[in-house]
Order: sequence, then C-alpha cells, then structure tokens
Amino acid sequence: MNKIKIFIFTVVLVVVSAVTVIYSGIIDVAADEPHGDLVYWLLEQTRENSIEIAAKDIDVPNLDDAEMLLSGGMDYQFMCASCHLSPGQKESDMSIGLYPAPPNLTVSHQSHGDKNKVDENKVSREQFWVIKHGIKASGMPAWGKTHDDKRIWDMVAFIKRLPSLTAEEYQIITSTD
Amino acid sequence: MNILTKVAVILIPTLALSMSVSAHDPKLHGKKAEKADCSKMDHTKMDMKDPVSMAMMKKCMKQEKHATEEKAKMDHSKMDMKKEPKKEVDTIEG
Ligand code: HEC
Ligand SMILES: [Cu+2]
Repeated sequence: MNKIKIFIFTVVLVVVSAVTVIYSGIIDVAADEPHGDLVYWLLEQTRENSIEIAAKDIDVPNLDDAEMLLSGGMDYQFMCASCHLSPGQKESDMSIGLYPAPPNLTVSHQSHGDKNKVDENKVSREQFWVIKHGIKASGMPAWGKTHDDKRIWDMVAFIKRLPSLTAEEYQIITSTD
Repeated sequence: MNILTKVAVILIPTLALSMSVSAHDPKLHGKKAEKADCSKMDHTKMDMKDPVSMAMMKKCMKQEKHATEEKAKMDHSKMDMKKEPKKEVDTIEG
C-alpha cells in the first residue's frame, strides 16, 4: 500500500514539474543562450542514439569515386558550406549564430571514443541519414525532400574527403565550370 | 508565449534563411557559376589513383575543352575522349 502511495506521489510530482516547466516559461529557448550541462547532455544522447538506431540498416555504397565527388562537391558548396564551412574558413554567420551550432565539416570527424577506431561505415551511413532526414529543432534541414538518395550519397562521399582538401582543391572540385 | 510558439519564432527565420541555400537541380547551381581555378593544380603532388585527383582532372579537362572549343581550334577527330585524362597523366609524369 505504501509503495503504491509513493508511486502515485512520484508520478504526480513529475507531471506537476513538467507542467510547471512548460507553462512557466522558465526554459530559455534563445539561441544565444547555451543549454545547461544536463540539458545539453540529454539532447546530445537523445540525438546520437536516435541517429545510430535509425541508420543502422543503411548499406553504404562505394564512396571512392571521382564523379560522386564532383556532384557532391557542387551541392556542398551551394547548399551546405554556408553552415558547415569550406577549407580555410573558420566561421560564418550561420556557424556562429545557430544553436546547436553546425559542426565544421572541414575538420575530421570528432569521435568520442578511440580516434583510431572510428568506424567509417558508421560515420557515412549516419551522415547519409542526417542529410536525408535533417535534425529536428536545429538548423539542419531534411535534404531528402528535394534530393534523391544518389545525390545524397554523392554529398556523403564528398564530406568524407572534405577534411583532407586544400582550399585550392576544394575550389576546383566544387566550382560549377 | 508558450514554448511551441517560441520554438517556431526561432525556427522559422532559421529555415527561411536556409531556404536561400536550397536547390533541387544541379543546373540551378550553375547560376552562381564559378570557374575552376585550374592554374593552381599541382600535378607533381597528385596521386592519379585518388578520386580527388581524378575529380580535379575531370573538371579541368572539361574546362580546357570548353575554352578550346570556343576558339574552335580543337581537332576532335584525333581525340580519344575516354583516354584523355590518362594521356595527360602520362605526359606529366613521363
Ligand atoms: C542552416 C544551416 C545548415 C545547412 C544549410 C546545412 N546544415 Fe547540416 N547541420 C546544421 C546543424 C545546426 C547541425 C547540427 C544539428 C545538431 O547537432 O543537432 C547539422 C548537422 C549536420 C550533420 C551531422 C554532423 C555530425 O557529425 O553530427 C551532417 C553530416 C550535415 N549537417 C550535413 C549537411 C549537408 C551535406 C548539408 C548540405 C546539403 C547541410 N548539412 C546543410 C546546419 C545546417
Ligand atoms: Cu541542390
């Protein structure tokens, strides 16, 4: 009996706190005011696990292909560089102003675990998923609505090589003519 | 203002901003045409088996073709289009 009371009390407490948080306006949604550590951790874990599970069955095609780089490079320059930057560029209005900030895709993938053990296949299929579906409540759009899977894999292929490109190489590959 | 409204207030301008960078057809991208700066290509440092080098060669070959075609100086009958990139490689490395 006592256990049931405690359980009900806890549920009520949780619901009341949630309602209070939602309606009091206590949460600051301003993009220039970063999340607290706990909220940040919660959101990051949620996002990472969500993407990992959603992407786990995606087959990654061969990405070492010049044509893919050319197609992906042009698309990247046109649609992504404003947020995710290009070689030699450190910041943009978007990279500074957006929160969560768009990761700088010109530097190699930061993994939380052992640097030597980065699973490239996993990185690529998760990038494919993110590009196709976007990320809720962030500036990352779902490009799958307007681009087919092939175009998206081309971008994944390009992003894979992007950290190794010099500004000159980048200019040549991404130019339209 | 409830939280949804606030989220919307932040999200809508963000999306509106990002609209200007969206497109559907690669041809649309051509409007902001920028020529590849092939003069900066350093062939000695290039590994021709690497897709990045191959992509650069392709781009610059195409550009060269455009330029010469405009001047109508090219003799297409003598050209093997499929082998073109390879030939270039041979002359550079040889
Ligand atoms: C308006 C800005 C914006 C544009 C344009 C944009 N992105 Fe993003 N992108 C973001 C933001 C912000 C995130 C991070 C979201 C988060 O962490 O919740 C992100 C995340 C990503 C990620 C996940 C990176 C990681 O390691 O977690 C990839 C991959 C990516 N974007 C690729 C692209 C590609 C490819 C394009 C172009 C087709 C593009 N983005 C265009 C804002 C943008
Ligand atoms: Cu596009």
